[in-house]
Amino acid sequence: MNSYRGEVRKRRQNLLIVEGHHEKNRLFWLLIKCFPEININMDEIWIYGTNIYQLYNDIVREYGEEWAAENEDIDLPFVISKKQYPDKLRYKEDFTNIVLVFDYERHDTNFSEEKILEMQRCFIDAADMGMLYINYPMIESYQHLRQLPDDDFAERKIPVSLRPGKEYKALVEHETILGPKVDFPHRIDDMLEKHFGVSDAEKRKKCCNEILEISSVNRMEKAIENALQGVVAEHILPTVKYQLVDWVTKQGYVHTNLTYWKFIRGVFKQVIYHNISKANRIQYGQYQIPENKYKEYFERLDLTEILKIQNLASKDNIMGFIWVLNTCIYFIAEYNFKLVMD
Amino acid sequence: MLKKFTLKNYKNFKDEISIDFENTAGYQFSTDCITDGTISKMLIYGRNATGKTNLGKALGDISVTIFGTRRYVDTGVFLNADSIDQKATFSYKFRFEDSELVYRYARFSNQELRDEELFINGRTIFSCNFENNKFDFKNLEYVNAETASIDRYLQSVDIGDEEELQESKLPFLRWLLSNVALSNDSILIKLDNYVRRMLMITAGNAMLRVSRRMNDTFYELLEDPDRLKDLEDFLNEMGIECKLILQKLPDGQRELYFGHEKLVPFYGTASSGTLALVDLYRRLIPKNWAPSFIYLDEFDAFYHYEMAEKVIHFLKRKYPKCQIIMTSHNTNLMTNRLMRPDCLFILSKAGTLTALCNATERELREGHNLEKMYISGEFDKYE
Repeated sequence: MNSYRGEVRKRRQNLLIVEGHHEKNRLFWLLIKCFPEININMDEIWIYGTNIYQLYNDIVREYGEEWAAENEDIDLPFVISKKQYPDKLRYKEDFTNIVLVFDYERHDTNFSEEKILEMQRCFIDAADMGMLYINYPMIESYQHLRQLPDDDFAERKIPVSLRPGKEYKALVEHETILGPKVDFPHRIDDMLEKHFGVSDAEKRKKCCNEILEISSVNRMEKAIENALQGVVAEHILPTVKYQLVDWVTKQGYVHTNLTYWKFIRGVFKQVIYHNISKANRIQYGQYQIPENKYKEYFERLDLTEILKIQNLASKDNIMGFIWVLNTCIYFIAEYNFKLVMD
Repeated sequence: MLKKFTLKNYKNFKDEISIDFENTAGYQFSTDCITDGTISKMLIYGRNATGKTNLGKALGDISVTIFGTRRYVDTGVFLNADSIDQKATFSYKFRFEDSELVYRYARFSNQELRDEELFINGRTIFSCNFENNKFDFKNLEYVNAETASIDRYLQSVDIGDEEELQESKLPFLRWLLSNVALSNDSILIKLDNYVRRMLMITAGNAMLRVSRRMNDTFYELLEDPDRLKDLEDFLNEMGIECKLILQKLPDGQRELYFGHEKLVPFYGTASSGTLALVDLYRRLIPKNWAPSFIYLDEFDAFYHYEMAEKVIHFLKRKYPKCQIIMTSHNTNLMTNRLMRPDCLFILSKAGTLTALCNATERELREGHNLEKMYISGEFDKYE
């Protein structure tokens, strides 16, 4: 260290603004794992929990009521760090991705069509000010597929009277075929910790990763055994092993000669395809997308228009409905459309 | 047009580095940066001391080889200082109408050529290796140069060895161009014509010390009132509002003034930006031939960001077909309004030159704020 050294800038950071729900971090964690091309270092993600109206107020406090009308260049890392760590301000010029993920929360007492529309209109670029993804009615909608492919997804909507949170979550849990797939890494982790007393988180993580990297039926047993070596006690190792062999077999990925991550990547591509088709259904009235126009159709989607349609459809407290649609998985398609094409 | 330039072991470029003008990415915006499918307006960024100026010098080396005229005094180290390789290699690929021409040569130093080769449409026309005196001229008829008196050339190469001329090995291509009557539609004449019109302009610091003699020639031009008016218009359009007056002093010398209530001498008063802009004008505009290629090094070092933009717009309008490479530190120009991700490049310390569209996995679109992305480290693996 010499006396010329000043403060070193740390660039290439990522900001994920969510409502503090564990699931959202889990979803992005999984997306980044499955699409390593996106090149986001998990250690460089700053997760900030808030809700959209709170964030709106924070923006107003910094930039004034007219921020949206005046097309202010909003610096979210600055706004948030000023609130959270006033001694260590951060600026968007150090961030390569700023992603905001919120639920549609029609029932929120603060719900305001104008505010949410302003937010959707202004936050449209993850590499610049930030990109807002609103999920309808909430984040869990990405799991709301009963089979793959699921043509009924085209018309899937929920009555506005169905309370998001508990009721919708329960519905998805009941209907999803994706839940057990995407939860798999956490289930292994849970089992190791809770049933077999592996308290070392690093050990569990390493073991999980080794299991999820298996891509061959023939070597599965041996590989699982190796992964467990030194993680669980010798005398219970066979029990844990057979339990895991059973689980992995049921997941089915090894039988297609894919690692878990590659397998889920394929699943995500399908989920994205369903949700792009669905958005096209909502905005343009047509669910089927011609194969050669997939990208073109994605590019003409307008999240603000979709929000307006959702606002209108859900206006009536009794008759109103919300189209089931997950937009936050568009992050992959937005980043590079090649990632979602076969 | 120049399609590709490849360089190795020259100054700070130890490993091979290329500029591929044909590697475009099909963007539908800023199409005026592309001419006939080839990049014609290129902007290079890079941290200090990554070799932006050296790259320009290297590109211009072909005119030294073909014409023997060095445009600047270069006393610096020629070969890469970390390499044991004793030669620097230059390769230029051109396309003239339907033919592809590659001229490749290697040098030991600024003065000494090691070897040279010419290929047309994949066929070797000639190759000369001065190090071990191996020469091959068997395809000269392909360029209608079979009448060339090879013996005379070889004699001159021999003499060169004995007399320790400043440049001991006469490049065969240079000899060919000046000693053989080639028809006007010869591809070699086209090459000659292209290379002759290549311009290297370093705006940086050189122009602040313009010699008196250069000014005299320039002032002579400005004696034409139309020319003076043209310079004034140019300055005004680029953002410098001023009125210019040229006077002849009693001793016969000419002097340029800003016209105010009193006359104010131009040199000595003009701002750095104004001087830089006038220098650009002096080197570019009064020429009675159109440049084929311009390397504008640090072209906007003294410009306000708006003037830098205006100059690029002007260059695009005035020289739509000319291949122009600009280098800059002004990230405000890193925008799709003006340029495009396949025409914006980053030169790295490691000696790689990467277009923005190839420096990230992210698919770059017209709406992206490239400047912000560059600053926040989106392309940091290639910086």
